[in-house]
Amino acid sequence: MTPASRPLGGRLKIRLEALGHGIFYLTLRLFGQLGAYLLLLPVIAAYAATSRKIGRKTAPYLSRRFPSAGRPGRWLAMIRNLTSFGQVLVDRAWLGIKDGDLRGEFIGYQQLEELVNRGRGVVLLTAHVGNWQTALARLDSLPTRVHALMRYDQEAAAKHYFDLRDGRRPFEIIDSEGPWGGMIEATAALQRGEVVTIMGDRLVKGSAVTVDLLGDPARIPEAAYFLAGSVGAPVVVMFAAKTGRKSYQLRVWDSWYPRWENREQRAEACRNSGARFAKNLQEYLDEYPHQWYNFYDFWQQ
Amino acid sequence: MEELKEKLKRILIDEIKIQGMTPADLKDDMPLFGDDGLGLDSLDAVELVVLVQKHFDVQIADMEEGKEAFASIASLANYIHQKKS
Repeated sequence: MTPASRPLGGRLKIRLEALGHGIFYLTLRLFGQLGAYLLLLPVIAAYAATSRKIGRKTAPYLSRRFPSAGRPGRWLAMIRNLTSFGQVLVDRAWLGIKDGDLRGEFIGYQQLEELVNRGRGVVLLTAHVGNWQTALARLDSLPTRVHALMRYDQEAAAKHYFDLRDGRRPFEIIDSEGPWGGMIEATAALQRGEVVTIMGDRLVKGSAVTVDLLGDPARIPEAAYFLAGSVGAPVVVMFAAKTGRKSYQLRVWDSWYPRWENREQRAEACRNSGARFAKNLQEYLDEYPHQWYNFYDFWQQ
Repeated sequence: MEELKEKLKRILIDEIKIQGMTPADLKDDMPLFGDDGLGLDSLDAVELVVLVQKHFDVQIADMEEGKEAFASIASLANYIHQKKS
């Protein structure tokens, strides 16, 4: 659809969004990160007060993560969730525009590096939690090439972040929309001993495993475990978290080798791997309950 | 080349486990992927890349090579033959 052929409401929405972004960028340039954080507060308050849609989008997660919270408690959790997300967006723009100084610690980097140095490739599994784009940006220190299997154009937040950095990306994109879902390139990269990062939470297409997350079954992609097990690479779970106004943490939460002797064992091995990832994700959410950024009904995907 | 094709058919049946078929049922020009062929999917493509590397020490590095190699059993045999010679 060309811009001119969009309905008036759609065009207006796009212009208002562009205006909103412009105001945030101007605030960032003039008043820095803190100024933009302050601007977030009235915007989020107004959004939360007037938009029913955002309530519907956050409810599937918040009702499971805070099951005993009453209406006010759930509303507060939504505000904290949105504020946390807004701050990550601000940080990303701030890093891109001003090369802002975020202090990061990387727990488990040595373990990750050791696995990379074994030369069997590494499937680095992460999720849409915390400031995960920052995590991807830190991977340039690994002693091998890093690839990200994703629909880059659909990952608007990541695209925005890395495009702001003059297109300097610390990883190469493998387009998951390409033929065979990018799996041939991903397999070849692992065979060369390189790293392939995959978002392990969102199921866009392809085969899935059903896991328990926050007390209910959810479907997550199977491809990462299949890929790792097929080439003999380890799966490494790494999540990022914003830990302060100017600090963040990357942590390797777990690592293992999915293994199977035959096709009969394969499905079970992938299911077990999915369950292990979900357990890691739940532990992360116990620690950082407001840094979940899948704003849709994750349990219906 | 015939021997190579037969070996590939055996690998497809024994290791990819195409259901209800024997090597004799597989025609040289049968597409490997898609509903009008053997119906392999993207996860099977991973296995096939790994098996080609394991049995023939040939790497299929990207989708362009994959498109060329995975069109049919005959094209995969040709691809391996070219890479080995």
